[in-house]
Amino acid sequence: MFFHDLKYMLLSGFRIKSFLFWLMLFPILLGTLFKVAFGNVYENDVLFRSIPTAVVETSDNAVFRQVIDSLEEADEPLLAVEYTDEDNAMQLLKEGKVSGIIYVGDKLSLSVTEQKMDQVILKTFVEQYGVNEKIIKDTAEKDPSKIQAVVDKLSEDVSACKDIPMTHGDPDIYVQYFYNLIAMVAMYGSVTGLHITVQNQANLSALGARKNCSPTPKSVSMLADLAGSYIMQSACMILCVTFTHFVLKIDFGDRLPLVYVAAILGGILGVSFGFFFGSVNRFSFEAKIGIVMAVSMFSCFLSGLMMGQMKGIIAEHIPWLNKINPATVVADSLFSLNMYSDYSRFISRIITMLIITAVCTAAGIIVTRRKKYADL
Amino acid sequence: MANTVVKINNLVKRYGELIALDHFSLDIKEGEVFGLLGPNGSGKTTTINCLLSLLAFDKGDIEVFGKEMTPTAYDIKKEIGVIMQNVAVYDELTVSENIDYFCGLYITDKEERRKCVEDAIKFVGLEDFRKFYPKKLSGGLLRRLNIACGIAHKPKLIILDEPTVAVDPQSRNNILEGIQELNKQGATIIYTSHYMEEVEQICTRIAIMDKGRKIAEGTKDELKRMIRNTETVNIEILNVSEDIIREISNLPHVYQADHDGEKLTVYCSGGKHNLIRILDVLQKHDMAFGRVYSELPTLNDVFLEITGKALRDKED
Repeated sequence: MFFHDLKYMLLSGFRIKSFLFWLMLFPILLGTLFKVAFGNVYENDVLFRSIPTAVVETSDNAVFRQVIDSLEEADEPLLAVEYTDEDNAMQLLKEGKVSGIIYVGDKLSLSVTEQKMDQVILKTFVEQYGVNEKIIKDTAEKDPSKIQAVVDKLSEDVSACKDIPMTHGDPDIYVQYFYNLIAMVAMYGSVTGLHITVQNQANLSALGARKNCSPTPKSVSMLADLAGSYIMQSACMILCVTFTHFVLKIDFGDRLPLVYVAAILGGILGVSFGFFFGSVNRFSFEAKIGIVMAVSMFSCFLSGLMMGQMKGIIAEHIPWLNKINPATVVADSLFSLNMYSDYSRFISRIITMLIITAVCTAAGIIVTRRKKYADL
Repeated sequence: MANTVVKINNLVKRYGELIALDHFSLDIKEGEVFGLLGPNGSGKTTTINCLLSLLAFDKGDIEVFGKEMTPTAYDIKKEIGVIMQNVAVYDELTVSENIDYFCGLYITDKEERRKCVEDAIKFVGLEDFRKFYPKKLSGGLLRRLNIACGIAHKPKLIILDEPTVAVDPQSRNNILEGIQELNKQGATIIYTSHYMEEVEQICTRIAIMDKGRKIAEGTKDELKRMIRNTETVNIEILNVSEDIIREISNLPHVYQADHDGEKLTVYCSGGKHNLIRILDVLQKHDMAFGRVYSELPTLNDVFLEITGKALRDKED
């Protein structure tokens, strides 16, 4: 009877149009929207691009050429240089094809038409070059034997901070939105979970009444429906992660199988969450749907789906909430997987998910397994 | 003597101050088509829900097939088919899938189930709609699907709770004929309705309910014999004087005569040739009249006489 119930649960579940839309199509649409909306912001404000620069040489400067060549050898070169004459350089600047013109003569000079980030970087570069050039020239005049030592010293990347990589992932907030999107799909599973309650309770639906009249034990029927919902929700999570990673090209790091695991467990948590909320109150079906949707979306809001900084605000003021808020836990498991090289935080989040799932499922079953109703 | 299939003893169900079932008792024998008749809110559905162990009750005992009925009495539930007032099918499953699903809650053997599903489809006449989804079915066909889902496992006891609500006359007749056929095949039927014609048509024994109490029980003839009225004569006639009405009222076996301005209604208790005697009075006074018809007492008359109100007063 379990497999009979499971078979028809899946058959009917995958034919519910609203299910297909909200759990499969909507996340794809929202993910695509995120990609379009945040992708531009990311590329403009976050992603580093070489600064297009025109160089006009009014006299030969081999050292400058050498410096530029060495810069261009880097993985992410600071400047994308185009050597040209003055007229063409002015034309490029006017058309916005270059951010500035560096004139190379006895001294370097810079010509820009705006004061944005690129121009500030160019200005800093030109000034730094001037300072370094003066140091080298002074050394050459005073003690030529030390030139190499000075050049080596200037070439060193001096920093007061030591770079200790704790992560191998991409820490920008842009990817965080996609973690939250996956968490949202997981929380949408709560509606599927709610349906289990409704379809098994004689006081909530005619279907529930009919099933309660049958010789199939309620626990068997409910467990079959739960299993079916877990399978359906897992399919949605797999689709969401696959689309986000392979189609939208969102980088989830190099531990993709674990991303799938976290997303699937998140989906199961969502189903159990809805099952619990559907079971513990005596409201009408419509009221239950409203409550479950509101709680799920509020959970997503607190995790930062609508406002990226929210998670940080909660962490500052109510830190314990981030540890039990289902959407935050799901999103944070994905975040920690991408951000930390060790698994301790990820495992901690997975354990939290399993605990919430177990508590919600057990509480839901305990409440709904009552045999008779006071009213129908 | 036939075995008792359902025995309800002294059942009491309260909703706060409201007493939904007031020491209600019932004894239904094997092979009966037992009708529970009463206006909306009389306690019919509450009785059924208690009988099915869906609803907790305050006092009383319920036995089905000689055993106490409980929520976990799966061996009893296996023999019961339920057709609820509200259609209970999955919108996302086709006609045959729905029947197979609900039948599968009772029968695990696939081959046996396949045969049962096929029989149920034929029984309710949905052969041409196997692949249809419920939303594509008319109201009548949907009711038939609802019935098929409840009887596919060939239960010994079938409970139908107002299965013909909002059903067109043709589908209603099909449903009623189907119920009689199920009874002929050996099933005991419990049928609740507030449509007295249906109950009169198919039920071998009837209990009339009002305000959670059983106010009368018996075959339809036994119930009708409980009341004074044996015949009601109706004559379409205008301007009947008080003297003529009084003269008719004084005829033998006539116990009441009323005129509403268009129709004279004469209530008789026993006796023969009541109609002829009434028409003789009208002819004697040279009164012209239109259509004349005589009605035998109905269950509504029974209900009216016992409770002082009509069964249909409370209809939706």
